[in-house]
Amino acid sequence: MLQRSSSVKHIHITNAALSSVIQLGDSKIINGLSRAIAVQREKQLFIGDEEDFSKYPIFQRPIIFPQDNEEVMITSFHQNPMIHVNSINVIAFSSSSILHVGNTDSINMEARVKHIRQLLPRHNRS
Amino acid sequence: MINFQVYNRDIHVGDIRVVGVSSSSILMVGDAETIQLASAFDTPAESLIIGPFVPLAVEGR
Repeated sequence: MLQRSSSVKHIHITNAALSSVIQLGDSKIINGLSRAIAVQREKQLFIGDEEDFSKYPIFQRPIIFPQDNEEVMITSFHQNPMIHVNSINVIAFSSSSILHVGNTDSINMEARVKHIRQLLPRHNRS
Repeated sequence: MINFQVYNRDIHVGDIRVVGVSSSSILMVGDAETIQLASAFDTPAESLIIGPFVPLAVEGR
């Protein structure tokens, strides 16, 4: 089957960080994975090297997807074979995120985040 | 068996303005056969620690 083409006139991106990808053109398989331990402390303190993904079950636990037992016959008719976009303006891409202009077969993305907040004891504050 | 027919007519999009795309997210202009996204976010009560700052201990120990 003939594919659709995408046309974007202007793209403006300020920042793409931490394994983000800007993909212009077709692709086949996209696999993205992001893992983060986000520690917020009331007082500025960077101990460093204190963390280990294996310490937290959230990074191990399997993510189960619902099974698609139903058989689906998809037929698409591209009456207009173009997707037009005038402009894309993004301030920031981060943590394995993607801007994709073009077609792809399969996309598989996963994000796991562990948030920890550390506050000072009551009498130590101010 | 489901018979699913799609008629793609004109798509003309003006300006897309986004502040941030993060944590394995995707912004896409185009077609995809399959998209599968998963996200796990953990901030339980135990993750709010009030006390002297020490290196973090193993959860559930």
